[in-house]
Amino acid sequence: MPPTGLEPARMNRKKGDKGFESPRPYKLTHQVVCINNINFQRKSVVGFVELTIFPTVANLNRIKLNSKQCRIYRVRINDLEAAFIYNDPTLEVCHNESKQRNLNYFSNAYAAAVSAVDPDAGNGELCIKVPSELWKHVDELKVLKIHINFSLDQPKGGLHFVVPSVEGSMAERGAHVFSCGYQNSTRFWFPCVDSYSELCTWKLEFTVDAAMVAVSNGDLVETVYTHDMRKKTFHYMLTIPTAASNISLAIGPFEILVDPYMHEVTHFCLPQLLPLLKHTTSYLHEVFEFYEEILTCRYPYSCFKTVFIDEAYVEVAAYASMSIFSTNLLHSAMIIDETPLTRRCLAQSLAQQFFGCFISRMSWSDEWVLKGISGYIYGLWMKKTFGVNEYRHWIKEELDKIVAYELKTGGVLLHPIFGGGKEKDNPASHLHFSIKHPHTLSWEYYTMFQCKAHLVMRLIENRISMEFMLQVFNKLLSLASTASSQKFQSHMWSQMLVSTSGFLKSISNVSGKDIQPLIKQWVDQSGVVKFYGSFAFNRKRNVLELEIKQDYTSPGTQKYVGPLKVTVQELDGSFNHTLQIEENSLKHDIPCHSKSRRNKKKKIPLMNGEEVDMDLSAMDADSPLLWIRIDPDMSVLRKVEFEQADFMWQYQLRYERDVVAQQESILALEKFPTPASRLALTDILEQEQCFYRVRMSACFCLAKIANSMVSTWTGPPAMKSLFTRMFCCKTCPNIVKTNNFMSFQSYFLQKTMPVAMALLRDVHNLCPKEVLTFILDLIKYNDNRKNKFSDNYYRAEMIDALANSVTPAVSVNNEVRTLDNLNPDVRLILEEITRFLNMEKLLPSYRHTITVSCLRAIRVLQKNGHVPSDPALFKSYAEYGHFVDIRIAALEAVVDYTKVDRSYEELQWLLNMIQNDPVPYVRHKILNMLTKNPPFTKNMESPLCNEALVDQLWKLMNSGDDGTYFCKLKIK
Amino acid sequence: MADAAATAGAGSSGTRSGSKQSTNPADNYHLARRRTLQVVVSSLLTEAGFESAEKASVETLTEMLQSYISEIGRSAKSYCEHTARTQPTLSDIVVTLVEMGFNVDTLPAYAKRSQRMVITAPPVTNQPVTPKALTAGQNRPHPPHIPSHFPEFPDPHTYIKTPTYREPVSDYQVLREKAASQRRDVERALTRFMAKTGETQSLFKDDVSTFPLIAARPFTIPYLTALLPSELEMQQMEETDSSEQDEQTDTENLPLHINTDDSGAEKENTSVLQQNPSLSGSRNGEENIIDNPYLRPVKKPKIRRKK
Repeated sequence: MPPTGLEPARMNRKKGDKGFESPRPYKLTHQVVCINNINFQRKSVVGFVELTIFPTVANLNRIKLNSKQCRIYRVRINDLEAAFIYNDPTLEVCHNESKQRNLNYFSNAYAAAVSAVDPDAGNGELCIKVPSELWKHVDELKVLKIHINFSLDQPKGGLHFVVPSVEGSMAERGAHVFSCGYQNSTRFWFPCVDSYSELCTWKLEFTVDAAMVAVSNGDLVETVYTHDMRKKTFHYMLTIPTAASNISLAIGPFEILVDPYMHEVTHFCLPQLLPLLKHTTSYLHEVFEFYEEILTCRYPYSCFKTVFIDEAYVEVAAYASMSIFSTNLLHSAMIIDETPLTRRCLAQSLAQQFFGCFISRMSWSDEWVLKGISGYIYGLWMKKTFGVNEYRHWIKEELDKIVAYELKTGGVLLHPIFGGGKEKDNPASHLHFSIKHPHTLSWEYYTMFQCKAHLVMRLIENRISMEFMLQVFNKLLSLASTASSQKFQSHMWSQMLVSTSGFLKSISNVSGKDIQPLIKQWVDQSGVVKFYGSFAFNRKRNVLELEIKQDYTSPGTQKYVGPLKVTVQELDGSFNHTLQIEENSLKHDIPCHSKSRRNKKKKIPLMNGEEVDMDLSAMDADSPLLWIRIDPDMSVLRKVEFEQADFMWQYQLRYERDVVAQQESILALEKFPTPASRLALTDILEQEQCFYRVRMSACFCLAKIANSMVSTWTGPPAMKSLFTRMFCCKTCPNIVKTNNFMSFQSYFLQKTMPVAMALLRDVHNLCPKEVLTFILDLIKYNDNRKNKFSDNYYRAEMIDALANSVTPAVSVNNEVRTLDNLNPDVRLILEEITRFLNMEKLLPSYRHTITVSCLRAIRVLQKNGHVPSDPALFKSYAEYGHFVDIRIAALEAVVDYTKVDRSYEELQWLLNMIQNDPVPYVRHKILNMLTKNPPFTKNMESPLCNEALVDQLWKLMNSGDDGTYFCKLKIK
Repeated sequence: MADAAATAGAGSSGTRSGSKQSTNPADNYHLARRRTLQVVVSSLLTEAGFESAEKASVETLTEMLQSYISEIGRSAKSYCEHTARTQPTLSDIVVTLVEMGFNVDTLPAYAKRSQRMVITAPPVTNQPVTPKALTAGQNRPHPPHIPSHFPEFPDPHTYIKTPTYREPVSDYQVLREKAASQRRDVERALTRFMAKTGETQSLFKDDVSTFPLIAARPFTIPYLTALLPSELEMQQMEETDSSEQDEQTDTENLPLHINTDDSGAEKENTSVLQQNPSLSGSRNGEENIIDNPYLRPVKKPKIRRKK
């Protein structure tokens, strides 16, 4: 009999959004997962699953399910033994005999392998034969119960065991296990239909040691001891239809904290961390309130659990009614820097509870809607919590990131439509991987994909207004929540799946606006827009002649046609103009409102209605233009390179109130090292009302400018007198005040200024002695005894500053670096680093920030030839058992060493770690660092690039069961 | 006399080993005394009718005699000090002898025995001179209310004080400077000590001592040290918190205020919370009202319930 599974899948596309038709020839209604034995010592799991399915075609004789690395003992359907075949083609992507070894070949083979087990194509690794006795039963489309016994031994993915090797029982040791993975990877730990589009209700049972807690999805119905009273079974029920990919588990000797504000929310953390958990989660209820308010919808699940675990795969992972976080997000009330980051993680995971967990997606190509909405509402939360400045800064940052990525790699496509499957139609032929499946993507691409998705949602908001946007979300949620309470028989569950077409229809219904062009531009098509702008002022006509060019031929770019907002600040005020960007029009004439009459003393009105006095002496006497901004609201995914005079950038920096504009002008001013730029930047630095991030970037710009004008610079080194005025004692200006970080803005500035100052160079291209002494004094007189907050980040940045001050050593060819020829300044620096690093062993700082900075600084000293280059120290810090931040910093140094010294031995050491390290995050990170800082590149002759290495990498890729190995490919 | 006996006893063991090369006056003194004792023993032996004796047995008897006499001296000294005197009297000696089981009544008769031999008095040797401690200043005489037999005052330098005053340092700059360098010195000394006593790593192959780095040692549970504030920080936090109450501590205090009302009433339910020892007892009152599935008691297996 031919496989019938594929036909509905194709029909689905043609039918559009008229309900969802499953690509599988059956419907799942309920699944039981029972794990009755977990062995931490052996890292194994034994259990069974039971899937209740209804055939949707009469002649269903084979059922394909997903299962990876599980050992299947026995399959029964309605209590009859059933034969089964297990085949996982991703275990060996390209067969051994194949001689071909190139990226293209691999990528195709890998995509084919993933496709062959893709549940959304009706496939799976596990193929079960329906016993002939049941054929008649199936023909009547009656219910089938598939019972599968399985076990899992030393899983490589899906479930991660953390078992510290200390004395005591597993609970005393803090051993724990949790599910993890990228996208739909639940098949790694139990057989299921591993698709986001197959929803069912769940019964989950976990039998664990009596001292442990099993946290999973849905409501904990009861906890029952086993007969020997040594174990207990946690019974969970999840009545909201949920995809298997959103099922999760965490087991460990967790400390339990019921949220004092919301009793249905429970937090879990590893032993001894309860005080941190209390503080960290004390804020969560506000996030809940925010989302529920804007979505006018209650949180869809009856309970919520947060679990903080060690060796996390990712910092945040959201699953149905629970989120798994890295334990490293926990912090005490004394920590400043981590607090906003952790809160952002909490908010992010909560946004994904609504869109991603509760509302799932129909297919992979609809992923952008979920990521977009959750990212967008997370952005709204940011705006409310951290303010408009922070929000706009974040949007700008995200925009810059995606633009840089697309221009580099050639485009991120949000909504790929796969035609006949021909290679020519491949919408992503510029990439070295297929974008057909989430598992074939590179990690970076997926990160950028999410980034673009939420930016596009923002563009839609710009088009239809936030009110309508929220109405659409509310509609999606209320439809889903009605559907979720229905019985399976009502066929309503597909309402809980979002699709691109459904989402767009909903938008047009609610807003009545046609956003098709927008969707076509940013969703159905990849690439960003690259504008080049310049202008001339025509005095006779009193007209601004603006020329806007586009580059749409480079990879990753696209042509933009449509409206573009330009804001012109004139003497008489700020004016918005909307230009129509068309095919061939480059020049745009914009009439000016004001005559140039700068002699009159009059206040100048700004965009926000404020009126300010300006010193207009710097500007062109003939022109009324103060500054010009292109697309100030960031309503196009673009990069703008705009040319205007230095004084215009300076005015923009001083008087434009938008933080994005300020940041743009800071960037532009780097090219104008003049005393006027210097003054503008120092003024901004001193302005208390100015956004702290702007002031921070002004520091670095000022350092660059100072270096460019080193020969004409007068007065003390840049920022020194400023710092002294702001942070040092009145009576003794060389001594910094005792730390008081109550004002976070000045804390961040205090932290950053020395780091920027250390970048200053004198005429000999050395860091001025005065600056070094200044930083050493800051370290010496640092006094945190009266401070409410920890100064660990501050001290870490002081070490960064020391590292920044290091310049290459003067070396007589290949002289061996010894202590005797050590530069006296470096000796002082080394003295500090040694002391700091040693003190960390006795009084460790939060997240070992100081160790991390010390390791980086030591690598800088090595690279600059002050200290002999040697990876041994870093290798010892990179070992398993150090805090993950330390390991990453040490590995970064080893990777750098590998590149600089072309060490084959270290490369082997790294590759070995990639294969064998117990922490997946670290393995992934090493690969990531190797691609970012590759030991050699394609066109470079290197002794490292040999046959054996190619062989090794190929093997690594070929057997990989983790999509992350992909990054490494770029090296070849 | 008792003193002499005591010192003789104490010195005897030392003299034997070093008799040959002994040259200092103290040793000479002890040697002479011992020689006298030997003569005594020999004469007693002659009295008892021995014609000759081995050197070893004479030595042994001398030793016994010496220790007997020493014991008498030591014991007599104790008795005299017991009665708050410094010089032993006859009765002290008598009591001592009685105590040692010696029949005192036989002593006069023994002393007057006919065949006793008289030996010449030992040659006078110089008492060992104890070097005089350096005296500083004049010892004060006893004031009238202190009896004269009490010991003399010690040298004045041991009890006389000369207070000196220095202006307290109040200059801010100096204070900061001092605090900073003090802390730095302590830190450096401490880390150097740790580096010296443990394993180290070095940045320079040729020199391992100038910049010693305490060797990196992996932890079994690395996140604990990384995340938990150190005791020092905790202490600091408490100090700063007590001085300034702010919003953050207010939120934490909130549950504490609540449970003052009802913590007493719900005490009997604390057993419910036993599965969760981490929750502080003071919050029990509040927690009990919460119906959270993770706080419910674990059920017994069904069969047991039927019983």
